[in-house]
Amino acid sequence: MTNDFADAIRALPDEELGALLQLRPDLLVPMPADTYSVAARAQSKVSVARALDGLDQFTLEVLDGLRLLPTPSLSGVLALTNNHPGVKEAIARLQARFLVHGDIEDLDLVPAIEEVCSPFIAGLGHPAELLDAQVAQLMSDPAKMRRTLLSAPPQARAVLDRLAEGPPVGTASATTEAVAWLVENHLLAEVTEGMVELPRELGLLLRRDSGPLGELHPKPPKVSGVAKDQSKVDSAGAGQAMSAVQHVEAVLEALANEPAPLLRGGGMGVLPWRRLAKSAGLTEQDTALYLETAHAAGLIGELESSTDTVFIPAAGYDQWRAAPLAQRWARLANAWLAMHRQPALAGKRDEKDRPMTVLSPQLERAAAPAMRREILTELARTATAETDELIELVRWRAPRRMRGREHIYRDLLREAAVLGVTGLDSMTGYTRALLASLSSAQDDPLGLRPEADRPPEQTAAVLALAELLPAPVDHVLVQADLTVVVPGPAEPALAAELDLVAEHESGGGASVYRVTPASVRHALDTGFTALDLHNLFKRRSTTAVPQALTYLIDDVARTHGGLRSGGAGAYLRSDDEGLMAEVLADRSLADLQLRRLAPTVLITPFTPGRLLSSLREAGYAPVPEDSTGAAMLTKPRVRRAAARGALQPQLDLSFSPARVLGAVEELRRGDARLRVARRAPAEVRAAAGHPMSSLTAVQAHSQALSILQQAVRDKAKVWVGYVDAHGSAASRLVRPVSIGAGYLRAEDERTQMLHTFALHRITAAAPAE
Amino acid sequence: MTAGPLIVQSDKTLLLEVDHPDATACRMAIAPFAELERSPEHVHTYRLTPLGLWNARAAGHDAEQVVDALLRFSRYPVPHALLVDVADTMDRYGRLQLVNDPAHGLVLRGLDRAVLTEVARSKKLAGMLGAKVADELIAVHPSERGRLKQALLKLGWPAEDLAGYVDGEAHAISLHQDGWQLRSYQQQAVDSFWAGGSGVVVLPCGAGKTLVGAAAMAEASATTLILVTNTVAGRQWKRELLARTSLTEEEIGEYSGERKEIRPVTIATYQVLTTRRGGVFPHLSVFDARDWGLIIYDEVHLLPAPMFRFTADLQARRRLGLTATLVREDGKEGDVFSLIGPKRFDAPWRDIEDQGWIAPADCTEVRVTLTDEERMSYAVAEPEERYRVAATAHTKLPVVEAILARHSGDQVLVIGAYLDQLHELSDHLDVPMIHGGTTNKERERLFDAFRDGSIRTLVLSKVGNFSIDLPEATVAVQVSGTFGSRQEEAQRLGRVLRPKADGRQAHFYTVVSRDTIDTEYAAHRQRFLAEQGYAYTIIDADDVLRK
Repeated sequence: MTNDFADAIRALPDEELGALLQLRPDLLVPMPADTYSVAARAQSKVSVARALDGLDQFTLEVLDGLRLLPTPSLSGVLALTNNHPGVKEAIARLQARFLVHGDIEDLDLVPAIEEVCSPFIAGLGHPAELLDAQVAQLMSDPAKMRRTLLSAPPQARAVLDRLAEGPPVGTASATTEAVAWLVENHLLAEVTEGMVELPRELGLLLRRDSGPLGELHPKPPKVSGVAKDQSKVDSAGAGQAMSAVQHVEAVLEALANEPAPLLRGGGMGVLPWRRLAKSAGLTEQDTALYLETAHAAGLIGELESSTDTVFIPAAGYDQWRAAPLAQRWARLANAWLAMHRQPALAGKRDEKDRPMTVLSPQLERAAAPAMRREILTELARTATAETDELIELVRWRAPRRMRGREHIYRDLLREAAVLGVTGLDSMTGYTRALLASLSSAQDDPLGLRPEADRPPEQTAAVLALAELLPAPVDHVLVQADLTVVVPGPAEPALAAELDLVAEHESGGGASVYRVTPASVRHALDTGFTALDLHNLFKRRSTTAVPQALTYLIDDVARTHGGLRSGGAGAYLRSDDEGLMAEVLADRSLADLQLRRLAPTVLITPFTPGRLLSSLREAGYAPVPEDSTGAAMLTKPRVRRAAARGALQPQLDLSFSPARVLGAVEELRRGDARLRVARRAPAEVRAAAGHPMSSLTAVQAHSQALSILQQAVRDKAKVWVGYVDAHGSAASRLVRPVSIGAGYLRAEDERTQMLHTFALHRITAAAPAE
Repeated sequence: MTAGPLIVQSDKTLLLEVDHPDATACRMAIAPFAELERSPEHVHTYRLTPLGLWNARAAGHDAEQVVDALLRFSRYPVPHALLVDVADTMDRYGRLQLVNDPAHGLVLRGLDRAVLTEVARSKKLAGMLGAKVADELIAVHPSERGRLKQALLKLGWPAEDLAGYVDGEAHAISLHQDGWQLRSYQQQAVDSFWAGGSGVVVLPCGAGKTLVGAAAMAEASATTLILVTNTVAGRQWKRELLARTSLTEEEIGEYSGERKEIRPVTIATYQVLTTRRGGVFPHLSVFDARDWGLIIYDEVHLLPAPMFRFTADLQARRRLGLTATLVREDGKEGDVFSLIGPKRFDAPWRDIEDQGWIAPADCTEVRVTLTDEERMSYAVAEPEERYRVAATAHTKLPVVEAILARHSGDQVLVIGAYLDQLHELSDHLDVPMIHGGTTNKERERLFDAFRDGSIRTLVLSKVGNFSIDLPEATVAVQVSGTFGSRQEEAQRLGRVLRPKADGRQAHFYTVVSRDTIDTEYAAHRQRFLAEQGYAYTIIDADDVLRK
């Protein structure tokens, strides 16, 4: 069958092979050498699972129908589904993906499907003969089975009905009595302690009303709700987009003030994260989202210094800050759509109970961008769906992908709302434009279409959003309580000025600043004069500048600079002003660069030692002082290096008996390995030792895997060539038990041990004759 | 994008541009749910708080109206998250109700079982809830009603109080509106108080809070307990009630340190109620002395801490709080709201001034430069002594004198906090002084002399901070204060805000020592008034002395 499959793929015309690769792009990564590799990959568990993940609920139900049939065929499934008209197309979808192949009335299923799908086909149990002999006996006598069924007490009947709906297994805790009756009468099989299973035959019988496959879902679920007013949606989204941009800025400003160190395991510590959230006035969850998004947008970088590495706003941040709001948002939104990260995980603990931190590798999720696009596309398609209905829709489109991930989709929707990608939980017009431009960019990899080289401020999304956002303003309202109100988003130059002279109090559609003595002092420190400040407020204010502000500026300016400070290496003081003047004028001391601070104090940038020795050389008699001003006496000190240990005589080279015994045992084991390896077939040995001439290593590996998978199914013995943990080649005759999660588990009949081989260490495999 | 007057900030403040043509309409629309935080000349700031939103729910507004008002008047797009938050917050109100059950008495009813279970398990409610009498009913002892409401508010699940009020003992009271009328804002304040049942009315000093109280009594027509800060204020209430209502001398009792009368209308002081003897409060029986139908708390911002506890037991009676400034330096505004009731009425001072009901005031901060000697003693003073040293500098003396000279024809109050300084001023200026030690009789005599103009200047200690009706005072000079107390500043300004017969302007001076902690405290003290739109002019002492 394996060869049939490979032949069928090889025989495909170019466009059909292309279509297959389009539907299952993972077959092309990494680039396969030939169609043989494509066929091997297309049958591998991982690839089959991936292909199934992309199928909708109905197609999977039809696939279950095929699995249920002894000879899978279109007519067989039609019989099971009461001739549902959609079946043929569903089978065509499966065929196009090469999950089934062959004649439509005699289909072959790729064997890996059985491994990656639930063993309970369509929610039905195993056939009775696989479960229990007595149950099988009852099932083989339909009349008796019916009689037993009719005699079941109502409670037991309810248990049966529930199991018939699927899943067909249950634990016997809650309804022990009823279950005990059913097991006693062989209507249920006890598979393990306390666990019962409904045999397939009985399940089919009980499903008389709904059909053997249970209820079918040929159409996506219906959504209720009324369409929201698009202008309201856009407005709410734009408001949110604006505050998201401002919040990102607030977080990054806080980060600039207090750079957060990079942890050794990657990411930002919990404490700096909380501190950022607090100083930006946001929840930790939102702060994590903003940090991740800003990092993805290239606004946060890592700065290495000799002592540590810190997260700090990156060089592009200042340009971003000066750009118009809509453009700034677009950069964030694009980054969010593209980032392979799941910010909602931050602060939770991973499976090893380690805390997951913001910006750490633990938040990496490769599937995130696809999931974002998936749910946004669905949202764009249905204008009216509520969140729950939306999740159901996505679940119908790809039920396998949704399994266990519902909360991730909910997190994504929440993030979209926080960032203003959506508004009132609906798709905004500008995000629609953003998504459209992304998909058109995918069709146009060379950038040939005119919209491809539009500058960032001209893209459809930015234009649409800019339309909704307030225009920047360049004036302020100054009030007597010393607040300064910018009635709209401040123009970058104005914002920069206000940041210097006032404290930011509140942001949003407008900004409120407060002028305080400290902020005026800060402005004076950065080089403003009182006159500059008066002019600044006069120029920017549309209303009269209140007297209190004018007075405040003058008052702070009056005392500004009343104290001066600076650094010096050493000082020289004396009560004798004449002596100080003499020292200052002494040419031989010019090297010391003495400066007079007061008639009795001189300073020098050099150390006290140098000052002392120079003074002594010039014939003065200075005395050093300690920090309290007391004179210090100097004693000569002898310099020594750090202490070292002395050399000890060594005994002769020898080993303990235990160590020698260990070495011998290791040697014997090596011999045994060699003997076993000698018995292995040539291709396994050769592959283990050195590259073979006919097959490349990659080909040999994929061939080995398909041989092993076949052997698991056939329960056959194989020779496995592998490289052990010490790097030496070995081979072993084993009976594979399972393959999964990167490991092959196999039984060595000779030693009766279960071995686990890492798949990447396996170099070759050959069936044992 | 509309051109509305309102800007919604992401920190849930609302900026209202006052000069915008739609500003008035907008204020009417947002006032029910947003709290006015400050109202300087151009842009007023309102804040959306859970408390404000719940009060709006209690007054019958729903989230849709709130969201609609925001969207209608907002100049810029309103963030989605804020709208969601408003709806979520308002949705929390009323999931729990306090009702009178015919079978079980006062019960807490949960319309949402999960919420009821959540609060029932909360440790913060331990001891307040009784037995579970039905699936969605938990018994509550009537004495716990106030505390329970307070605790539920803190848990974020405010209960809707449907248990109602006792009517109390009926007693006919009516207003004598001859030659005067209730002002429109006073009527509004009474109406919204009465509609809400209990609550706080915030009006500037001099805007006639006593009349709001009198009108509320007329509305209730029941026996009333009035709680005031001191005896003098109590007598002022009495005078006012006699003049403006049908009440007679015999119907009004005084319960103070001097007299212990219980009458249909009883005026008691906080001080006497909170007097403790041997660990018990002997005068608490006043609360039970009659079946009061209404309790009025005057100057509710000064409500002493023990009163909170007593008030918690009075939740079945109607309560009216009156104040000019609900800023408490101890941050207990929330307790006032939950025990007395939410803010039912609030008006910016400048609005009342524009309508002519309080005198326009001109605020001036005079900065004096300390002499070198004073600077030295300030510099070496212990940290806890620094404010006193700076505030009581002798340099202030000639400045006060110069200000008095400027206003030689006016009635002037000189107000301070430190007795030494005040004695010195009183001696230096040769004017009488009233302080805590002055007897009530002497106080009344001096106040009367001041009212009729035979004394033109009075020096007041902290006793002058509140509840003294001196309509003729037009100038106040503040020489020192209780550190950075904002409400004290507002109350002191309030002393000169009563409208003058000739429409004269009031003047408020505060004399401050430059480059000391005095300046810092002054800046803090002025914040409330600056936020109410009073612009301080700062001048140098030399400018005053030169003229």
